[in-house]
Amino acid sequence: MTALFNIRMHHSLDAAQISEAAVHFAKLFKIEPEKAEQLLHKAPVVIRKGASEEMAGKIGTALQKLGITISLEPVADAAATAAAPAPVAAPEATPEAEQSAGHAVNDGGTVVSPPDHPGYPFRIEGRPDFSFLTVMVPGEQMLKVEASAMATMDTNVEMKTKMRGGLSRLLTGESIFINEFHARGGAGEVGVAPGAPGDMGHVYLDGNVIYLQNSAFVACGPKVEIETKWQGLTKGFFSGESLFLIRAVGQGDLWFNTYGAMIEIDVDGEYVVDTGNIVAFTEGLEYKVSKVGGYKSLFFSGEGFVCRFSGKGKVWIQTRGVQALLTWVHPFRPVKKRG
Amino acid sequence: MDITLLHRPGNTAARLTLAAGETCTAEAGAMIAMSGNMDIETTTHQKGKGGLLKAMKRMLGGESLFLNHFTPKDGEGDLILGTTLAGDMMTFNLDNESLIVQGGSFLCCEHGIDVDMGWQGFKSIVSGESIFWLNLKGKGQVVLSSFGAIYPVEVDGEYIVDTGHIVAFNETLDFTITKAGSSWLHSFLGGEGLVCKFRGKGTVWCQSHNPVSFGWALSSGLKARKA
Repeated sequence: MTALFNIRMHHSLDAAQISEAAVHFAKLFKIEPEKAEQLLHKAPVVIRKGASEEMAGKIGTALQKLGITISLEPVADAAATAAAPAPVAAPEATPEAEQSAGHAVNDGGTVVSPPDHPGYPFRIEGRPDFSFLTVMVPGEQMLKVEASAMATMDTNVEMKTKMRGGLSRLLTGESIFINEFHARGGAGEVGVAPGAPGDMGHVYLDGNVIYLQNSAFVACGPKVEIETKWQGLTKGFFSGESLFLIRAVGQGDLWFNTYGAMIEIDVDGEYVVDTGNIVAFTEGLEYKVSKVGGYKSLFFSGEGFVCRFSGKGKVWIQTRGVQALLTWVHPFRPVKKRG
Repeated sequence: MDITLLHRPGNTAARLTLAAGETCTAEAGAMIAMSGNMDIETTTHQKGKGGLLKAMKRMLGGESLFLNHFTPKDGEGDLILGTTLAGDMMTFNLDNESLIVQGGSFLCCEHGIDVDMGWQGFKSIVSGESIFWLNLKGKGQVVLSSFGAIYPVEVDGEYIVDTGHIVAFNETLDFTITKAGSSWLHSFLGGEGLVCKFRGKGTVWCQSHNPVSFGWALSSGLKARKA
């Protein structure tokens, strides 16, 4: 087996130079320019895990032209090696660039929590179509998981069912129970498979608040509170989704899933999202549910009501909708016999 | 219009960047998200073209009547489009030619393209499977979607494709609707029903899965509806 390295990038570019470099960086790694810019601002950051020396050399030469240097860190940790993707010939062939928060910037890669990740070590495999989350719960610690989402676990992990968020959680159409997985006498692994096939997102909460669409919750750390929030009658009713949102607040990991692939949008100003495609959004964004255009569009555009976000923050959206699939399936339902 | 296909091939979405004044015509219901400055207009025909007659023609065909037109109000606009079913997408550059597209596979096109909904080449025999066809004509970019993967088949001579698996094909191809087997009985018992026999030189784009078959596969497990 050849030696593998994590590649960390460093630079001393100012903001203007970063925006310029981001364009080339984005092209090189086949990611969106905004992502590239965010990544560059986060440097020094690990951009590639488990790369071979040859590959590292290629990335290094390519980045040098942009005024970015790299350093190599030998991979010691078994999890990172296991997650190493098949070697690709050139850096142009979509390396997995990762942000320090643990998000893979582009498709198809396994997301592995970085060594300096403040929460539980985890990995998300099978992205973006069939994500599966594996969390290593440290000894005597606990992980909260959506009811019935656990797929595998170590034998030293003990499950307790807790009622969460009170009765209102029942009204969200979700189970009112959340399962707590306690690792007894040492670390234990828990594998979590969400109900719908799709991508999975991870956020490390540090006192901030994230709102989730009611079926998006997957798992969270022990210090994250999951509450049900009344959206207000007009917002909830017209959104066609649910009268409630899930409000996640506290400190620790939060994982959420989508049906279909996930797109992260940085909102600065206004952005419109179909109500069926909202997955999560950060607190501080104002949103209102409104019709998409004129009255003709309301009835015939097939879009109906949309959610108009304003302010500054992040919105995660999914590329498919469960409700839309149900509508599509409807004509195939057998017809009830009379009498 | 700048097109990026995201998250191919399983759950593809198309991200379009429209310059000021550019208009994109999309299938009704395809919008996932868009920037706040996007104007949407819903019509029964291509904006500024065709008119009532075309709309009537489509209504008689029993097709979805509406198209959405997106135009950014000031400056650039962003638009993300998706489909209901899982699958891939492809872009196609029309250069004053004609492409026949299966109705459910049309996602969006540039304003310069004329969307003719009245194309009746396959006649009513195929509409029985609730498939309708669009004839896209003109110059510009088109985005097509599929259920499952898309693969092109270069036809030179003859080729047979199940009608439920056709995404699009060049108008240069001749076609006949025929039975799959040697006898009608075998064709229907074999579940193949009607197939399309292409003749000539051109490309047919096929999708790996047939949406109607998927629907019927789910059918027995679904709760009965009232009517």
